[in-house]
Amino acid sequence: MEIGRKIAITSAAIYTAISLTASVLFLGAATLTGQYTAVARIGGAVWILLLSFIVTMPLVTSAVKKRMKA
Amino acid sequence: MTTKQITLPIAGMTCASCVSHVEGALKNLSGVAEAVVNLGAGKASIEFDPARASIAQMSAAVADLGYKVATAQATLNVSGMTCASCVAHVEGALKELDGVTNAVVALALNTAKIEYIRGLVTVAQMKRAVHDAGYEAAERDAGVSAIDREREARQREIRRQGLYLAFATPIALVVMIGTFYDFLPQAARQFIPELLAEKWLLGVLTTPIVFGPGRQFFVNSFRGLRHGVTDMNLLYATGIGAAYFIAVINTLWPDAGFGGEGATFFESAALLTWFIVLGRFLEALTRGRTSEAIRKLMSLQPKTARVIRGGAESEIPADEVLAGDMVQVRPGERVPVDGVVEQGYSAVDESMLTGESLPVEKKAGDSVIGGTMNKTGAFRFLATKVGADTALAQIVRLVEDAQASKAPIQKLADWVAGHFILGVHALAILVFVFWFFVGYEKFFDPDTRFLLSPFTLGEIGVFGFALLLSVTVLIISCPCAVGLATPSAMMAGTGKAAEHGVLFKSAEAIENASKLQTIVFDKTGTLTKGEPSLTDVLSAGEPAPAAAEILRLAAVAEKNSEHPLGEAIVRGAQALRLQVRDAESFDSIPGLGVEARVDGRGVLLGNRKLMQARGIELAPLLAQAEALERDGKTVMFVALPPQAAVSGLIAVADTLKDYSVEAIRRLQELGIETAMITGDNRRTAEAIARQVGIGRVLAEVLPQDKAAEVAKLQTLGKKVAMVGDGVNDAPALARSDVGMAIGSGTDVAKETGHIILIKDDLRDVVVAIEVAKATMRKVKENLFWAFIYNTLGIPLGAGLFYPLFAVVISPELAAALMAVSSVTVTLNTLLLRGFVPSLKRKPAHVAAAAPAYAPPVPARVSVAGSE
Repeated sequence: MEIGRKIAITSAAIYTAISLTASVLFLGAATLTGQYTAVARIGGAVWILLLSFIVTMPLVTSAVKKRMKA
Repeated sequence: MTTKQITLPIAGMTCASCVSHVEGALKNLSGVAEAVVNLGAGKASIEFDPARASIAQMSAAVADLGYKVATAQATLNVSGMTCASCVAHVEGALKELDGVTNAVVALALNTAKIEYIRGLVTVAQMKRAVHDAGYEAAERDAGVSAIDREREARQREIRRQGLYLAFATPIALVVMIGTFYDFLPQAARQFIPELLAEKWLLGVLTTPIVFGPGRQFFVNSFRGLRHGVTDMNLLYATGIGAAYFIAVINTLWPDAGFGGEGATFFESAALLTWFIVLGRFLEALTRGRTSEAIRKLMSLQPKTARVIRGGAESEIPADEVLAGDMVQVRPGERVPVDGVVEQGYSAVDESMLTGESLPVEKKAGDSVIGGTMNKTGAFRFLATKVGADTALAQIVRLVEDAQASKAPIQKLADWVAGHFILGVHALAILVFVFWFFVGYEKFFDPDTRFLLSPFTLGEIGVFGFALLLSVTVLIISCPCAVGLATPSAMMAGTGKAAEHGVLFKSAEAIENASKLQTIVFDKTGTLTKGEPSLTDVLSAGEPAPAAAEILRLAAVAEKNSEHPLGEAIVRGAQALRLQVRDAESFDSIPGLGVEARVDGRGVLLGNRKLMQARGIELAPLLAQAEALERDGKTVMFVALPPQAAVSGLIAVADTLKDYSVEAIRRLQELGIETAMITGDNRRTAEAIARQVGIGRVLAEVLPQDKAAEVAKLQTLGKKVAMVGDGVNDAPALARSDVGMAIGSGTDVAKETGHIILIKDDLRDVVVAIEVAKATMRKVKENLFWAFIYNTLGIPLGAGLFYPLFAVVISPELAAALMAVSSVTVTLNTLLLRGFVPSLKRKPAHVAAAAPAYAPPVPARVSVAGSE
């Protein structure tokens, strides 16, 4: 497999996993700790997912790139 | 193992042993399967596993041996960059390409300068990489067409953002009026239909703003995200998108739990877009002005030239003039290329290139510089340098290179701004989580108002409130101003310096020049004229001959001499308009002087040894001679046999250049220590130092040891500059923190040093330092404004003070503040355009210093007995 594609797939798997985890953690916490409406819980989880993607995407991609090229 | 084959050009190999060295070093790298070096072609063919070895490692291995992987340079015009994080993305995208060894992006110039290994990567691949990162790149042209294209591109951007603004402004105004309908005075409401306050209508009006002028932010952030990069556009897109999305949900499904009708902020989305577009428009307008100097320089190049070919004069495009062409220049025309005057006489204004304020006379044999303005007469000249070789092209290139380089402070600012976006998104998560789980329940007040707005948040729910603050943090944190702070000031500073004939080779030179503590001046040719001049003529005897007569006799005796001291005497006599005829006889006495017959009488001119050998008594002028020698002057006695005693003496010395004293005094006023370095003996050196006002003298230093002396000063923890004429000072110029090559003329390309002073005027050292200090002051002010905005804005946006005041910042206000921040920084930089160096500001200062200058005629022409 071309190295660029391998880096992209590996990074995507990692940052998606991290972001989904953050989102699920938020959803779990919102469900367990308060009287939040479904819209608030799901909306919040989507917002956290989006922001987590934005934060982790460049960090994970560059880390994977470094590791694979090393 | 998947291997790859590449060919690296290697420079510096001279023999077969070089080949085996390079091959050995490459083969020793892990991941390199085979390396074969061809000495004749200067190339290494390498088979390697890209997963285990990189081209950078191979280049480093070759460099370790003392050879170099030959690189080429390319410059691309990059459009679509808006901030420092864009800089990091474009640089990153380019550096990721195999074969690119370095990439430096200049945001203010919209350029990317790329160093690459030819054969491994093409310019087309670089352009594609930039395109893939979400920006557009085009190859950069040289000369006039480049400036035309740059201006065109900038005007296109101004036009584009102007159109967006024209489209968004009336609609945003209507949306704002509709949103604030209930708060309008009764009188105003009579003229505005109530329908305008309907949420669905506000939504209809806002939609074309968000997806029209606001579309650029969504498209650009999507392009970036596809490649795993985040930039300012993402901040805008998330801000506008979230505000619009919530407003739409609350309009269509008010019970969905997003805050209902009270949280329908269509005006947020509309005004947010409007403010950002306004910021972009103002930035495009003002950013171009900071690079005005380079445009001014480029516009000096005339578009046409009158060339005489085959005896006929014809007008052709200036870039078609060839070296060797005869070019005709009429009064009021610009000189099209560099050359040497063959015929005619005129005065040429060179101020735009050299900073020299007075027109320079041009006659046959004098050189002329392309781009300068012919004032009075007409002349013909032979073109010697054309196209990229002209002085103007070299100066433009040098200034451009300096503007494209990065000062250490800018690298730091870029790094901060580049990482800021991620930090801001992380902060936005924290803010959201805090207000969602803790803040809303504890602190939320239904009477919460937006700052500078009559609106309350009303029944906004926990999700809407937390999302609002989270979005505001994203908008308010935009580090646009941080990215602009340094490069805009550097561009203005380098341009301002170039106007005065001072060329900074890099932004680092500006930063270093602003911190200088000690400046070391080379003596000969820098502080002094570098050639002996007549300084004193004294006469003695009963009756004492006139001093002018002594000088005339000496000049006639020396007229045919080729000795530099003799030439100084002849020049001195001619300056006093004395008649210097040929001697009747002339005899040179090597090492001692000359003996001649003038007007029927013998004249003996020479040193003490000559006088003693001829039994001439020195006593009448011995004390004066010793005093002059203590001042570092060379004394020659004049005897008129058969008189038994000397009749006069003549002193010559290397005199100070005009303005040396003034420049040194001003530097000392600026708190900079000055020192002089010379190979001369201590007595002469100290005499010159005394005259010019320098306290620290490094005498009897061989040219090759000058660099070591500079290093010694640096070990004392000082930032040291070296000022020299660049002839034998190159190592010292290179060793110093800032090397200034003075009097280089316009052939700037070959000069060593970090700063080039085109004119032979020491006051330009002061100009360089003052411009550097002013530029760095602007950089610091800009960074202060940029950071103070973010430092105050982020806590406000995040709701840190909300529990105290129950007020939040609306996203549109955050966008307005962000736009104000960028524009403040750019406007602050523009103030530098009015900067005038102190010595050019105060003509009275120059006049006051006049008596201290070395006069062009002897300082004393007097009779000993009369003193």
